[in-house]
Amino acid sequence: MKPSGLQRRKVLAGLGLGAGVALSGSAAALARSEVKRWDETVDVLVAGSGSAACSAAIEARRGDAGVLMIESLPRFGGSSAMSGGVVYAGGGTALQKAAGFEDTVEDMYRFIAKNSSGYPQLDKIQLYCEESVAHFDWLVAMGVPYNDRYTDVKELTLGDESLYYSGNELAWPARETSRPAPRGHVPGEPGMTGGRRLMEALLDRTRAAGVVMRARVSGRRLVLDSDGRVVGMQVIQDGREYNVRARRGVILACGGFIHNRDMVQRHAPALFDCSTPWGNAGDLGEGIAMGSAAGAETLRMNEGFAITPIYPPESTLAGIVVNASGQRFIGEDSYYGVLGDAIAYQQQGKAWLVTDAASSFDFHQDNFLEVAEAATIGDLAELAGFPQGALQQTVAYYNRFAATGRDPLFHKQPRYLQALDKPPFKVWDLSVKRAFFTAHTFGGLHTDIDGRVINPFGEAIPGLYAVGRTAAGLPVAPYIASGLSVGDCTFFGRRAGIAAVQAGVSA
Amino acid sequence: MKRRLAVLALAIASPLALAQDAPADMPEGDYERGRLVFGQCRTCHYPEPEVGHNNGPSLYRIFGQVAGKQPGFEHYSDSFREAQFVWTPQLLFLWLADPLAMFPDTTMMARGIPDPQQRADLVAYLKRASIRGLEAAPESATVPAADEEIQP
Repeated sequence: MKPSGLQRRKVLAGLGLGAGVALSGSAAALARSEVKRWDETVDVLVAGSGSAACSAAIEARRGDAGVLMIESLPRFGGSSAMSGGVVYAGGGTALQKAAGFEDTVEDMYRFIAKNSSGYPQLDKIQLYCEESVAHFDWLVAMGVPYNDRYTDVKELTLGDESLYYSGNELAWPARETSRPAPRGHVPGEPGMTGGRRLMEALLDRTRAAGVVMRARVSGRRLVLDSDGRVVGMQVIQDGREYNVRARRGVILACGGFIHNRDMVQRHAPALFDCSTPWGNAGDLGEGIAMGSAAGAETLRMNEGFAITPIYPPESTLAGIVVNASGQRFIGEDSYYGVLGDAIAYQQQGKAWLVTDAASSFDFHQDNFLEVAEAATIGDLAELAGFPQGALQQTVAYYNRFAATGRDPLFHKQPRYLQALDKPPFKVWDLSVKRAFFTAHTFGGLHTDIDGRVINPFGEAIPGLYAVGRTAAGLPVAPYIASGLSVGDCTFFGRRAGIAAVQAGVSA
Repeated sequence: MKRRLAVLALAIASPLALAQDAPADMPEGDYERGRLVFGQCRTCHYPEPEVGHNNGPSLYRIFGQVAGKQPGFEHYSDSFREAQFVWTPQLLFLWLADPLAMFPDTTMMARGIPDPQQRADLVAYLKRASIRGLEAAPESATVPAADEEIQP
């Protein structure tokens, strides 16, 4: 046994340490007059280290600002590094062209604007689409590795292609609002580690650009001047309060709040009910709390993604999804974020997948429990407890048209349409509390197209920016495509970094 | 041999640590509840052998393996790369209480699972998931009947 090796004794002894490591405290804003001295002065302070934070820091450095990045956890990368690393891009990117696809800014805009419900910020969507080609080129220039290959699978789990339909483009009614194009751009390597590859590249560039990066430093309170301008942040460094002056601005890029369970319960009950909080340990809402305390308005705090992956395998999409009344309510070929949203937000969190022998899962899976199996739909309905006759009626209607390649209710694509007529029939529980049902928050601080944080009076708070999931951005509920969140992080992160450098220096 | 050394190390650990490691402290776990508790770990870890490593190492048949040594996984922290202990259910139960406190340089950015029952449930799930796929254990692979909220 080598002395340097981590041994069981140390493992056990280590448990006693660090019980108080998780620092928390008042996020109330601190008046500048209460700050006895500045421990450090920088131009731009970036709180967080995910894709939004790195994009902001890189651009701020490019403008020759002195940038300090702090991360409360031991490792940089945030939730971006744990994500699929998909960036939603289009309008004719280099990768789309190389793979032989045509796309336009207008089609991309129509897809996002018309399918994002709840009055999304159209100015952000428009800018994002107009500059998407250039933004993808920037990602390539940052060293994010993409190949030229496209795949028609609905979900990239094991493939190594870099382009796919990552969202709801081909499902109804989305395909009628805009001409579909594959817009999911993902680092090309096998497995679900695209986010890690993306962040390896962005973190390398952040370091190379000369950004000072410090892990295990937590933001605690914003410091406000008497005129309301944010002039710095009190952080916890080496266990002590440490005051950082930020002459040009503070950029909050601290992630969302899915792991702050009290906060999720208060603001996003539908997400709270989902079985699986999805994200990095730092998603505690600290940036949103600090911004709110400085006077920011919050938007869409109840929204987020609620995803239940009934595919892969895509064979299950020939089954039907029904609610507690035994009725279909959505095309089963919808992007799983759209399906999950419909269950979590519109069906009181309850739904079931009904399959026959051809559409059943063809391997063991732990995502969904089988709750009934029978040789006839009637027996199945009775076993599962649907209202008398309801499921039979649903299946009979569905089968009548599926046999001719039609779905008059929800226009499921013909490739997934086939009559449910091969026993055994099964019912799988897709309910938010019992299925593998992931949730991540999208609500956050109100910002403009340059990441400036807006107060409830519609005014920008000088010196304060928010990006990524600390801000309310492009992704809303329903989440219509993978890549909108990391795409928003990188695109608007960059804009905030540029805006902070161009802003005036505080006195 | 390594296992015996681990037991020896346990014997000379501090009383506090011993108390926390006592198997009696680990409640009986429930596989089905653990299936859902484990869900959040799937951002990085999979117990299904066909998935393999992801952002984190595969957890297929994790118990009995020396920590930090799986072939093909290149993202261990220094602590785990140099580790010499064997993963046991009890140790995983301890580790997941507060991973960032126990091994501060871990690459696993998770806050852990403070609730002991939930941790025990997760351990029970990983045990079950690790024997699935073995032809000798068909009964163990049976999913227990659901007991609540299944009626539409």
